[in-house]
Amino acid sequence: MHNELKITDMQTLESNEKTIDKSTNSISLDLPDFTTDSYKDAYSRINAIVIEGEQEAHDNYISIATLIPNELEELTKLARMEMKHKKGFTACGRNLGVVADMEFAKKFFSKLHGNFQVALEKGNLTTCLLIQAILIEAFAISAYNVYIRVADPFAKKITEGVVKDEYLHLNYGQEWLKENLSTCKEELMEANKVNLPLIKKMLDEVADDASVLAMDREELMEEFMIAYQDTLMEIGLDNREIARMAMAAIV
Amino acid sequence: MFGLIGHSTSFEDAKRKASVLGFDHIADGDLDVWCTAPPQLVENVEVKSATGISIEGSYIDSCFVPEMLSRFKTARRKVLNAMELAQKKGINITALGGFTSIIFENFNLLQHKQIRNTSLEWERFTTGNTHTAWVICKQLEINAPLIGIDLKKATVAVIGATGDIGSAVCRWLINKTGISELLMVARQQGPLALLQKELDGGTVISLNEALPQADIVVWVASMPKTIEIDTDNLKKPCLMIDGGYPKNLDEKFQGENIHVLKGGIVEFFNDIGWNMMELAEMQNPQREMFACFAEAMILEFEKCHTNFSWGRNNISLEKMEFIGAASLKHGFSAIGLDKQPKVLTV
Repeated sequence: MHNELKITDMQTLESNEKTIDKSTNSISLDLPDFTTDSYKDAYSRINAIVIEGEQEAHDNYISIATLIPNELEELTKLARMEMKHKKGFTACGRNLGVVADMEFAKKFFSKLHGNFQVALEKGNLTTCLLIQAILIEAFAISAYNVYIRVADPFAKKITEGVVKDEYLHLNYGQEWLKENLSTCKEELMEANKVNLPLIKKMLDEVADDASVLAMDREELMEEFMIAYQDTLMEIGLDNREIARMAMAAIV
Repeated sequence: MFGLIGHSTSFEDAKRKASVLGFDHIADGDLDVWCTAPPQLVENVEVKSATGISIEGSYIDSCFVPEMLSRFKTARRKVLNAMELAQKKGINITALGGFTSIIFENFNLLQHKQIRNTSLEWERFTTGNTHTAWVICKQLEINAPLIGIDLKKATVAVIGATGDIGSAVCRWLINKTGISELLMVARQQGPLALLQKELDGGTVISLNEALPQADIVVWVASMPKTIEIDTDNLKKPCLMIDGGYPKNLDEKFQGENIHVLKGGIVEFFNDIGWNMMELAEMQNPQREMFACFAEAMILEFEKCHTNFSWGRNNISLEKMEFIGAASLKHGFSAIGLDKQPKVLTV
């Protein structure tokens, strides 16, 4: 009689148990083949983005220190940490015998880089912090969180170490923005409107290569939104304000 | 603090609610946007027990919608991310509502303990199934006599007998109610045989054979949309308790003297002053809620911070008695037939 129970949808999942269990396990165990040409080709761009991202972060923290000189020591420490990360990721590429496509990566970051430089010249600290301490950090940590699950053993270890650091220093810009929220909210919203769509475009641009590395676009975007929302919440924005800001990602 | 993890009943519904709550970025988004949306802490609430104790709690919407069931990676992430949020908010005990506990169980999420920098502590979560099973049994005991069914002479069929709730209901019925006969229906025959052995009673039977014999049918597996039931063959009167999720039995069983009761729903003695159960489409949203949610509240009232309902087939009679007594003490009661007069004529 049980065959008569045809499952369409909205069924308890008990009925699909076998299929689901099988697929769940196979996904969690399936790592990509790190030795194929297609993997290495995609890795040359993804690895370059990560290396360039850490370099940008280093340079940006040094630049931000020119706007808040009394935080020089703290920001220099952060910048040094980013350089350490850059070295780690460079080793990951070397370990797989991949040459990072740095030209591609520079182009990949160019718009965000340009916007940061303009804000820096104008002394717009809030915009600088939004770009570096919220957007780039959330972008990085979301990518690393997804990558850890599918990375080769060497890169996995390196990335786990980096993620630990990233969770620490995500807080720096966060703290400043929190303390100064009443005076910087308007600029934060404006800067977000301009720069969050760039992050969305960057994610889209890298999606095909990421999928070769078994990193799912949907998961990357979700991880980013979680990190982004967490930071905005910590800064002291309410649900509606965060929703309004996140709106800029739907373009 | 207690927590409730819930979700909308459909994608369209979710978008409408997001718009009301001011979450415009997802209200306007398509399903892909929802698949990437983080869980949302929608509401904080204070609840005062009938004993006078006050507790605080939060409602978290996982941003899961049933349309995501076919995307198992998405569904898995929705559940784990909502659990991580509950833990990060420092919530002591959180109930996994709706499809959340079903996904957790069936997608074997126990193996995903590490979510980003959070190591999930399972003792902070409960499926709420013990309370749900107890409430369903009480609904059966209270409502059957009201429509002229004598429990001592009654044949009760449990559909989905080997599930966590189903097996607990069977255990209670055999040991605590003195019903005349228990019919057990499930898809998998192996677990059914084991259950029969454990209970030392009950008859293993097919759905088509069970329905015409049963005075009372407890559904703890949801109703497949394609199933066709000839209501003429059912006993009259017949009590149908819809204990599955989603609750869609009343669409199937319409007929004179067929009484459909929403199973596993409780009513609190006082208005709670929250908006969350309006989202869950309760008839009296200020007081009614899923029994699994109420379990988290009861455990918080009792300062019993443990994963009280967890895994499969761990619901003992003692646990049901404990949660049942605490449920009554703090002001919960199972909803009855009078709450929803659904004796429909075709």
